[in-house]
Amino acid sequence: MKLMKIEKGNLSKLMEHLKKDNFRVIGVTPDGKRFSEKFDETLNFMQSDTPPTSISFKEHFFLKTEALFYYKNNNGAIDLKEPVIDERKTVVIGARPCDTASLPILSKVFNWDYADDFFNRRVENSIIIGMKCNYQDDYCFCNEVGLSQNSEKGSDIFLIPDGDAFIAKTITDKGNKFIEEFAIFFEEYTGNPPAENKNGHDEKKFDYESVKKWLDNNFEHKFWDEAGETCLSCGQCAFVCPTCHCFDIVDEQCGTCAGVRAKNWDACQFSLFTKHASGHNPRDSREKRYRQRISHKFKYYNDKFSEILCTGCGRCSRGCPVSTDILELLEEIDQIAHSTTN
Amino acid sequence: MNIYKPELVEIMDIIQETPDIKTFKLQFVSKKMREEFSFLAGQFAEYSVFGEGECTFCIASPPTRTEYLECSFKIAGKVTGALNKMNKGDIIGLRGPYGNHFPLEQMEGKNVVFIAGGIGLAPVRCIIWNVLDLRDKFKDVTIVYGARSVSDLVYKRELEEWKKMDGVKTVVTVDPGGETPDWTGEVGFVPSIVEKVAPASENSIAIICGPPIMIKYTFPVLEKLGFTEDNMITTLENRMKCGLGKCGRCNIGNVYVCKDGPVFSYKEMLELPQEY
Amino acid sequence: MDQLRSVCRQAISENKAAFIIGYTEDKHHHLKPFIAHNVEETEKLTFNCNAVNNLAVFIHRFHNPSQGKIGIVLKPCDLKAINALVQENRVKREDLYVIGVNCSGVVKDQNKEFSKENTQIKCRSCASKTPAWFDVVVGESAEFELPEDDMAILMKQIDEMTPEQRLEFWNAEFEKCLKCYACREVCPMCYCEQCIADKTEPRWIESSSTTRANFTWNMIRAFHQAGRCIGCGECDRVCPADIPLSLLNRKMGMVAFKEFGYRHGTDMNAPTLIGTFSTSDHEEFIR
Repeated sequence: MKLMKIEKGNLSKLMEHLKKDNFRVIGVTPDGKRFSEKFDETLNFMQSDTPPTSISFKEHFFLKTEALFYYKNNNGAIDLKEPVIDERKTVVIGARPCDTASLPILSKVFNWDYADDFFNRRVENSIIIGMKCNYQDDYCFCNEVGLSQNSEKGSDIFLIPDGDAFIAKTITDKGNKFIEEFAIFFEEYTGNPPAENKNGHDEKKFDYESVKKWLDNNFEHKFWDEAGETCLSCGQCAFVCPTCHCFDIVDEQCGTCAGVRAKNWDACQFSLFTKHASGHNPRDSREKRYRQRISHKFKYYNDKFSEILCTGCGRCSRGCPVSTDILELLEEIDQIAHSTTN
Repeated sequence: MNIYKPELVEIMDIIQETPDIKTFKLQFVSKKMREEFSFLAGQFAEYSVFGEGECTFCIASPPTRTEYLECSFKIAGKVTGALNKMNKGDIIGLRGPYGNHFPLEQMEGKNVVFIAGGIGLAPVRCIIWNVLDLRDKFKDVTIVYGARSVSDLVYKRELEEWKKMDGVKTVVTVDPGGETPDWTGEVGFVPSIVEKVAPASENSIAIICGPPIMIKYTFPVLEKLGFTEDNMITTLENRMKCGLGKCGRCNIGNVYVCKDGPVFSYKEMLELPQEY
Repeated sequence: MDQLRSVCRQAISENKAAFIIGYTEDKHHHLKPFIAHNVEETEKLTFNCNAVNNLAVFIHRFHNPSQGKIGIVLKPCDLKAINALVQENRVKREDLYVIGVNCSGVVKDQNKEFSKENTQIKCRSCASKTPAWFDVVVGESAEFELPEDDMAILMKQIDEMTPEQRLEFWNAEFEKCLKCYACREVCPMCYCEQCIADKTEPRWIESSSTTRANFTWNMIRAFHQAGRCIGCGECDRVCPADIPLSLLNRKMGMVAFKEFGYRHGTDMNAPTLIGTFSTSDHEEFIR
């Protein structure tokens, strides 16, 4: 770990320089909604006390539609062609801990036994410049899932606001090399090491361990009937989420004898997600699907990959059409768990 | 490496098993794949019709026979409908093999009971031939197979072959009302025929594949006969897309059917959330 | 809101309704849909300017006449959806127990106080603060100042565009679409047993989320809503990508009114526009 300093003005200049240098630079759009190459060039989003974007930065690593290969059928002779991947080096700036942490979490599922190079190549090709967060609302719960506003998980370089500048902490070799390569934009940091300042709240909103333990034993419980009752079965929650990663594989025809096989975002709340060709559907109700969503995030993924499939960003709750609040449900589970053990 | 890109295979022959089930004999286009491809009984693959998509089914031929790969499918949806229209000489895609396999080692030195219904005979056929090709390693072999009607029976020629084999007891049944005037086999549902055949549970292992309802009613029969939970083996047929443990579709609890399965013992199944 | 609760309590205890689809307040002081199944649960019901959801969408899910009538809390604007659903034979008037609420506008952002600026777009062109019909009505409506109708301004701008500019505008908007289908699921008028977007044999709409496929999906949805949209604006509200979806529907509705003098959902006894054949139709091909 190394500490450097970068003035706000220099950060803008660095981004401009990178763009000219054929980097793909990704920041937050002027409306604060999502991460894009068409980001706000004034870097107004580099304030740590504003809400996170409505849509996570996942869409730049795990694409909403990814071409897997192209096929062509020449009178029965099949020709398969690899897709052309944007090989430009990518720099992502302004991501909060609740975004950056998703990359190592997702890496687990995309790499057990079979390595998904579409995801891996994008991550390897990127420098993630994360930023300390000073925002906190009733939907946030990064602390409760083992992260914090200071979490460097998933960042290559971590920025900590310091007056009109940022303290730049190098987290990975990749980050170190990046700072060395663009050293002219940085200066030595001579101040005290930044304090691991406390998060907005000391008291935990829920205790993850007791929630997990309750989930281990309560696959059948009336809680689930109520939790999913007004769910509309849309994919909003999954699609804004930094860690949801379910996908579909489809062929899209272009003309009669050529086309593309694509990997598209899918969501466990969609009623057709698990439906068999026979018509049988293991998760045929909203209640079952909602149970799957919570259980996958807070139990199954942890059982399998020792990670919680949630960064506590609160996006799904802020955007839910029927205001289902995942934090409220987790707090409720925590309460049920305590009332039954006491 | 692009884990989603299939290898090309040619359809060498097509066998119409029943009005809605076909078997394809397949061979890799690439010589390298023909030489290198290996798998274990019970594993599955993703088959592509380019322009239509992929579908999942087991490899139905045994690993002991490498000239062709075989798969059997029932016309049920978009991709199987497209497969049905394919002809000899056509090229399709294949990704695999995926998933775990039948516990061949656990079966060695034991009596083996195979129970299958409908197209569920496809994965069982793979392990039956595997066992028969290594006949000395196993004790008595019992096969109980049933289908809705006589015309719905798959692998008819092989059923006759198994019937004639020494040390193999083959019982074929059709559901009541599915028999023809010249039908000489059993009439009745698979679980009750298993009860009637009553294979010995001592030093035995049972492999059961078929429609969920058949599996559900066969387990209690076997339990009554004395089979233990870890000596009853079945396969789960959840909807799959990637086959690689990524797409999240086949999960039952923390189990990915495509990687941790599709083969499960009854004991393992009881530990899963009842959501399949 | 004692009046609402007592009306709902009575509705269930006197068997006027089997259950009530209404709103409840969450810990953020936001209102969200809530189903009160029994008298005790009616205590959780409430209504205020945060009642943004159009509850008519839940009719499809809970519609089971054998269980008794559906009690439903409806704002004047949401009542149009019920009219439309009666017109389209999705529900019978007599299967409903409508608890109308007099409305003084609902907010755009539930985290902020109600104000001239913080009102839903749909309120800006709303002319009915009291429900047109009901089984029982509660609350009072107050006059409130309406800000300019941003949607009308945007529509005027788009009307003035060349077709090429318009295509560019919509392509840029649809490129943002994630295909989460929240617009479809929240819409009371999107009730197909199987949506055309989910059909695979044949596949009418590419399921990928490319600009082209997004364009197809959103345009087909707009066409299916032509002359059917009742203007509740729920699609706009829930779109995580902020696509002004209702703009298309509103334009279609205006065309339907101009050409046929028809507005969907204003009269539950009127025949529907699409479902009606007239020998006096001014288009020759249809006669």
